[in-house]
Amino acid sequence: MNLPILPTTVVGSYSMPGWLERLKTEFFARRISRQDLDEIHDVAVKAAIKDQEVAGLDIITDGELRRDNMIDYFAERLPGVQTDHTSKKFYYDFYDSVVRGKLPMASLRLTDDFKFLATFTDRATKFCVTGPHSLVKRIRDEHYKSEEAFDMDLARVMNMELKELVRAGARYLQIDEPYYSGFPEDIQWGVKVVNTLVDGVDAKITLHICYGNRYGKPSWAGNYRYLFPAILEAKVHQLSLEFARRGGEDLELFKEFPNRFELGLGSIDVKTHEVETPEIVAERVRKALKFVPVERIHVLPDCGCLHLPQEVAFAKLKAMVQGTKIIRKELGG
Amino acid sequence: MILHLNHIQPDRAALASSVVSTLVSIAGDGQIQPRILENLNVHLDWVQYKTNFREAVTVRRATRGAELLPWIEAGVDLRQVQPETLKSEFISALQDVDAGASRKRIYLETFAPMRSCLIWRFNNLFWQHLPLWESASGKGFERALPGGKSDANHPDAVADAVADFWTLLKDLENHHQLPAEIFVLEIGVGTGKRAAMWLDRFRALDRERGTQYYPRIRFLLGDYSMPTLNRAMETVREHRELGSFLAVDALDPFKSLSFLRYKVLSIHLTNVYDNLPTDEIVVRDGKLYFVEVRSYVPAAAATHISETFGIPITDFERTVTRLLEVGPQHVHPSGVEKGVAFWRAVWDAIRLEERFVAIQTILDAPLPTGLKPQLLESFVGEGVMNQRFQLSSGAVESFLNTVPLLHPRGYLQVQDIFVTKLEDYSRMFRGPGKMDGSIVNWVNGALLSQVGAQAGYDVHFAPFLYREGSRTSTLYTTQRE
Repeated sequence: MNLPILPTTVVGSYSMPGWLERLKTEFFARRISRQDLDEIHDVAVKAAIKDQEVAGLDIITDGELRRDNMIDYFAERLPGVQTDHTSKKFYYDFYDSVVRGKLPMASLRLTDDFKFLATFTDRATKFCVTGPHSLVKRIRDEHYKSEEAFDMDLARVMNMELKELVRAGARYLQIDEPYYSGFPEDIQWGVKVVNTLVDGVDAKITLHICYGNRYGKPSWAGNYRYLFPAILEAKVHQLSLEFARRGGEDLELFKEFPNRFELGLGSIDVKTHEVETPEIVAERVRKALKFVPVERIHVLPDCGCLHLPQEVAFAKLKAMVQGTKIIRKELGG
Repeated sequence: MILHLNHIQPDRAALASSVVSTLVSIAGDGQIQPRILENLNVHLDWVQYKTNFREAVTVRRATRGAELLPWIEAGVDLRQVQPETLKSEFISALQDVDAGASRKRIYLETFAPMRSCLIWRFNNLFWQHLPLWESASGKGFERALPGGKSDANHPDAVADAVADFWTLLKDLENHHQLPAEIFVLEIGVGTGKRAAMWLDRFRALDRERGTQYYPRIRFLLGDYSMPTLNRAMETVREHRELGSFLAVDALDPFKSLSFLRYKVLSIHLTNVYDNLPTDEIVVRDGKLYFVEVRSYVPAAAATHISETFGIPITDFERTVTRLLEVGPQHVHPSGVEKGVAFWRAVWDAIRLEERFVAIQTILDAPLPTGLKPQLLESFVGEGVMNQRFQLSSGAVESFLNTVPLLHPRGYLQVQDIFVTKLEDYSRMFRGPGKMDGSIVNWVNGALLSQVGAQAGYDVHFAPFLYREGSRTSTLYTTQRE
């Protein structure tokens, strides 16, 4: 599927409607059935796909609306991870999850989600998974001797899942690793784990690293210098980084450490409800163009739109698309 | 008649017993109409504050739309009531039960949700004209606090707070995440004494440990009262280069400090939440009501005040309005002293008439801005049948408009009087009370815990252990995973 220059997409999640939050919580209170919730999710995902299309995005996701949070959807599916289903009342909370033995190889059953997405849009699609490093930080380990060992084994299991997704037709995959920013000392082995995760996976792979978006606020502070030079060894095609909220200072790192990566340019601040104008987005892209050539830039929000009200998320995505069009026009596109 | 004994002070058990027997005898001697008697619920309360907005017997009616509901609630304040006058006061209070308004009262406004009520304008007046009030009372406002001073200024508490903060900075430095500028914010600065003590202690600790953090501190003192800010500025003059003095609305600190989004490492408030407007919710037999009030001055008191200050009684209400509009300096022809005396007399006499407005669901109540309604639904849905509690509207708004300022590793600390469990509201009437010229309410900490969780913060309460007998506790936040 041909994409224009400066392709636009989301980081993964789309606005979680208040009514869906309530229904998810109702499910935990045993007041609606699994089947009902699945059907509700189908409807919500279709709406999220439609919103992204109407906003004008080039690459579409399922909005991750089936997921309670970035951890539990995977923890529940990972073979060998035990989750205590009584350990949360509110859907967004984390389960108490634990691994007590070596992880067996088995499917996470994510391909159904991808196939559903592909069925309801003709546009290019992207499927996002939480990376092993982030999962390791939230799943209690009672078996492995080190976080690195646990992480590496998770990558081994999830590698199979990524290959399953490619077999199902996925061409763009994204690995979300926000916890890098909270534990910058892990980056050396974190990159090795990523390379195990993507080994032999025949797709365009983005590694998304932000400063957290739990409850719509940053979990950590700092700058991206900690990624370099270790990240240069990562066998991924694109780095998706947040620049809208934090400013573009860290773009200098792309000059300081010449690399082959595409840049997923975070150009929408998802932690404020104030909607950017297309001109602001355009300016952010112009700034990035001073450091990364146009053919290696994708335009996207800083992180998921999960915590934004639907009308705000939609307006922001529209502004992002329009701002990108300004630059395409300037470039003669 | 149904009698509810909500709280009995151990040393007032005999009084409570006397009140109960008096009520039983009133019920039996036919002085109350049978129609009223059969719909009457009497609540014996212990009102936390010696000076408050109630009379010894308060009658409340409930409405649904334009309809006046038949049940009647009478609140008896066990602190104010005298056994020898109870009977007459009780019967008198019930006489006006069907009238829209009592002729024994001078009303200053029409019914409104509590947070919009006129008493908050008096509260505002107090903080804007604090020096005039203090001059008339002959004492600083902190003298009105239990113990005569603010718990915020306890040296050991300040030293511990500074030590904790230094530890946080050290940890950030160890992870190469210490910002170049270290923002600290105090909202509601009082005399400025806590800020000065904090800075003194921090400077000493920093020097002792050789960490060079002190020059990087940016200490912001925020208050909506300029007299208070000016006073605080003088108190912290030794640290003048690190301090900034800002007009900050405690209800919405983000409005004036948005440039510090996610940057402030420590935010502290003492005795602020208890002074912010609130609404109240009442649950009776499982049905929901919100409380509307209108302020009044008993006619006898209004007459006395009018005579004292040479104001025609017909001008009483207008003069109070003028006081709130132009301040005490311009309200009385004899000058500011008389104006302040008039203000103090009216404040002393002012009372609140209450009515309960029936609502279908909690969503029909005037909810604090930013509060997710479903959160409150689950809060009152936990089997509550009879309860009256504060929404702490201002505190909730303040919390939600403050936490966006916090650095990811930063924390909020609020020292105040908190009700940490909803059921604790059954044991005592938690305000509003009068604290000198200002208003005080206990703060619904149980609700704030849930509000915090939804905003991504775990909210904890630690009792203030530095002064024996202190009722205050410290709310502090940690990042919710």
